[in-house]
Amino acid sequence: MDLISGIQFDSFAEFLDMGGYSFNVWAVYGLFVVFITVNLYVPVLRRKSLIRDLKRRQTLAEQAHGAEVNSAGRHKLEEAEGNS
Amino acid sequence: MWLWFAKLGSPKWFYELSTKWLPWLTAAMVLTLGVATIWALLYLPPDYQQGYTSRILVVHVAVAGTSLAFFPLMAVAGTITLVWKMKLADMVAKNAAALGAWFSFITLATGSLWGSVSWGTWWEWSDSRLVSMLFQFFLLLGVVSLRSALEDSEKAAKACALLSIVGCINVVVIKYSVEWWNTLHQPASPVSMESGSANGPEFWIATALMILGVYLFLSVSLILSTRNEILQRERKALWVQELLADTKSGRG
Amino acid sequence: MDSTALNKPSTWSAFALTLKRDLLIAFKRKNDIVNPFMFFVIVVSLFPLAISPEPTKLAEIAAGVIWIAVLLSAMLSMDSLFRADFEDGSLEMLLLSPHPLFFLVLAKNIAHWIVSGLPVVIASPLLAYMLKLPGDSYLTLLLSLLIGTPTLSLIGSIAVALTVGLGSRGLILAVITLPFSVPVLIFGTLAVQSSAAGLPAGGYLALMLAILAGSLSLAPLTSAAALRISVS
Repeated sequence: MDLISGIQFDSFAEFLDMGGYSFNVWAVYGLFVVFITVNLYVPVLRRKSLIRDLKRRQTLAEQAHGAEVNSAGRHKLEEAEGNS
Repeated sequence: MWLWFAKLGSPKWFYELSTKWLPWLTAAMVLTLGVATIWALLYLPPDYQQGYTSRILVVHVAVAGTSLAFFPLMAVAGTITLVWKMKLADMVAKNAAALGAWFSFITLATGSLWGSVSWGTWWEWSDSRLVSMLFQFFLLLGVVSLRSALEDSEKAAKACALLSIVGCINVVVIKYSVEWWNTLHQPASPVSMESGSANGPEFWIATALMILGVYLFLSVSLILSTRNEILQRERKALWVQELLADTKSGRG
Repeated sequence: MDSTALNKPSTWSAFALTLKRDLLIAFKRKNDIVNPFMFFVIVVSLFPLAISPEPTKLAEIAAGVIWIAVLLSAMLSMDSLFRADFEDGSLEMLLLSPHPLFFLVLAKNIAHWIVSGLPVVIASPLLAYMLKLPGDSYLTLLLSLLIGTPTLSLIGSIAVALTVGLGSRGLILAVITLPFSVPVLIFGTLAVQSSAAGLPAGGYLALMLAILAGSLSLAPLTSAAALRISVS
């Protein structure tokens, strides 16, 4: 009940209008949301591409040595990276 | 004590701990930011002087206050890098510089959006906070560009550490000299610059919640990018190789 | 003096020798002295063309113009502080020397200032006249530049030392150093402006002296640390 009556606006249009300062208020909150999303989403995207890249290197190194598919191949990977 | 310290510096330890903490921190961040934003937008009573523009200040004050933490953070990380050669400190510092530049930029942008309604101008040289924030932005960009200019990553780590320490001192000196400069060039602004202080307790509670949310966001973003940095730099380490083998391909 | 100094080099004689060597090299390579100075003069003389030849307008901006030009020419000349020594390897010899690097860096800084800062200070009254600076403030301008230019050299040397190994570093040097010189710029112009307005400028000059003292003790230390990082 209090959650409804506590709202400072009577209509949605009034909420959008922000007492005549709609541009400034919404621009600030828009910037804020973009700022937060970008700085969270970019690291997440980067993590995905990084893991894809690192995994590809891992399998490439394993294939290069024509060795076992199991995780023992990682020692070969280190050699391969050291040589390249 | 020293064992603990050495453990703290180990990227592997940080990575594993952050894996455990990240969901909680993210949940806390979403909750705090969500509640603070909804409260500020919907429930905050209009200020008797500024009306609904005080909603801008909730965000602006939170981002501005948090952006002041970056140079001290980078200076501490830099000291740790230079003295104990801890790899982790540099990984944090590297990402903090870029994130700090973002924070400063958003502070300036939200500040001018607020200024345009309450001072009647987008930019005001006679407000020392604006001017010193601008120079903090420049200094942070300087650290970022020094990092990208130096190719040897160990050299870059130490150079940026040193620059961050010097920069931290300099931010303080700039702040005081700009304030001094300001009192001499009498502000020509028609509105009192201190009108932001006329807000009631609801405003400060919303702002405090927002500050908490922004700090949580800062830590989550920094942890995420530091984890990437760890994977990148430690890619030849055994534990990273094992971790990669465990993750499903392409969909980490 | 030279032979005894080479046989039993004390820190002081190492300091003096570095100073002497750098000055000697600078006077042999006159371009390093002349170009920043010419740059300073040209930049200042462009302002009346770009803004207005009106004496009252010029007088208003004179202090700022001179200080900005000083800042930019200091930036240009900074580049030569460690570069030649880095390229021919003598910087590494300097790092290996048993003397505290603090004093050697300080000597290089002083030599650099004598070569690039001092000419600018000496020429400043002439340019101030061309910009119609009010007559009372010449002494203040001279003093503020005398205090301010070595401070700029000292602050700049940190950034130069950090970027000494880089191929193209002109711009990054400016990006790092210019924000650092804000306090010097503020107090330098304030001093000149307030004496042009007939107010005492001693307080600003004292503040600038304090900044100079601070950077005199801290900047060579930081530059030395930065050199050890970049040259390794």
